[in-house]
Amino acid sequence: MFALRGIAVSLTFFVLTYCLLSALVAGTWRLLRLLHVGERCVATLLFALRVLPLATSVIVTFVFVVPSFQLLEPRSIDEGMGAMPLALGICALLLIACGCYRVMVAQTITSRVVARWLEGARSLNAGADSPPETVTFCSRRETPPLTLIGVRKPKVLVSESTVALLSHDELQIALKHELAHMRSRDNLKKLVLRFCPFPGMAKLESAWSHAAELSADDAAVSNVGDAVDLAAALVKLSRLVSVEAAPICTTGFVTGSIGARVARLLAWNEAAVLKARRTRMRAWYAVPPLVAALLCIVATYGPTLRLTHEMTEWLVR
Amino acid sequence: MTKAFSIFGSSSRPQLGPFEQQVLQKLWTRGNATVRELLADGKIHQAYTTVMTTMDRLYKKGLLDRVVEGRAFRYTPRHTPEELQRVTALESIRQLLGSGDASSLPLSYLVEALSSHDAQLLDELQLLVERKRRELHSRQKENAARERR
Repeated sequence: MFALRGIAVSLTFFVLTYCLLSALVAGTWRLLRLLHVGERCVATLLFALRVLPLATSVIVTFVFVVPSFQLLEPRSIDEGMGAMPLALGICALLLIACGCYRVMVAQTITSRVVARWLEGARSLNAGADSPPETVTFCSRRETPPLTLIGVRKPKVLVSESTVALLSHDELQIALKHELAHMRSRDNLKKLVLRFCPFPGMAKLESAWSHAAELSADDAAVSNVGDAVDLAAALVKLSRLVSVEAAPICTTGFVTGSIGARVARLLAWNEAAVLKARRTRMRAWYAVPPLVAALLCIVATYGPTLRLTHEMTEWLVR
Repeated sequence: MTKAFSIFGSSSRPQLGPFEQQVLQKLWTRGNATVRELLADGKIHQAYTTVMTTMDRLYKKGLLDRVVEGRAFRYTPRHTPEELQRVTALESIRQLLGSGDASSLPLSYLVEALSSHDAQLLDELQLLVERKRRELHSRQKENAARERR
């Protein structure tokens, strides 16, 4: 009974934190538009904000709720369990099961479709400077012109019609765009988003997807000539897009608003992009807040555990 | 909002009369108004009863809300122009898809219309890219000539 109560209380805390934070994120993420930063930074912040509820609720559960229950709950008392922790615990289990199911379905469908796309694939020979990770495959009606596939070992797939249609420079810049997605691990991020469902997050996910596309455009382009080549590749490949919807764990080249992306590339401004790159967010920026948060947790761990335990007592009753 | 759909017919624009559209436009600009306030603006030159009947008809079509204010009604648009446009477009598409015996036929019309629209857009984008590329080449040639000099 003790263990069961502990699990129910932990799951209750998890689901409550997750839902509260998700609602908060769904209502406030648009404030990020006020920031004047590069698209890469926007994409990073949007993704961080999207997974914040899941990450925070997991941390709160394992750092506070489970230890407070283990350390402060007397094992000898045969306390009953209220209906609320039971119901919310079941909700949490359903949420986790739903997340796992969505991830499994996305992975299964992607694997099946990609296996079909890879039938008859051969290594791309698009020039000496073509990236070694790329593979070309025989063009079929439903195959996408250019796409990034896979989560653990992502690969760029290029259809033969794409190779035939694009000039050498256009193909190289389009491949660079897809490789930028590969470096950002965008397919893995899509899978993570599948794991944390919450109503009202579709617009945030769509904004992240758009920012990720623009960020990959920026990463691929280094001068006006590149920008024009990428715009030309986008327009040409837009005519080749297959009718079949792409599976979740893939990142196609021709996605989002093509008109807006082409207009942005044609108005490419070297100085503005260099400025945005200089102001981009670096990983070490997160270190000081993390250290501060860790110190706060260490300094107030005892009182916080007691407070958490009081809350769990209230929940159980 | 479903009541409003019946007035749209198969067109993507609401089947509203010109005067009904004018009244709705005025209400969107003002936010809300009574019949007397609309007439006092001086932009509507119709009889009081005509305006009153029109607003009552828009209310019955589900496009306006109204509250009693003294001996008259204060009318407020139920939807923003964007909402109305979105719902109208969605309803038109729904009506189109549900219109034929063979369900794939209207869908093929839609795909055809979208494809031709997309092709036109892509042609325009292609022209823009080619123009930019020509500009870039001529600038590069100019720079090369300047360097040679």
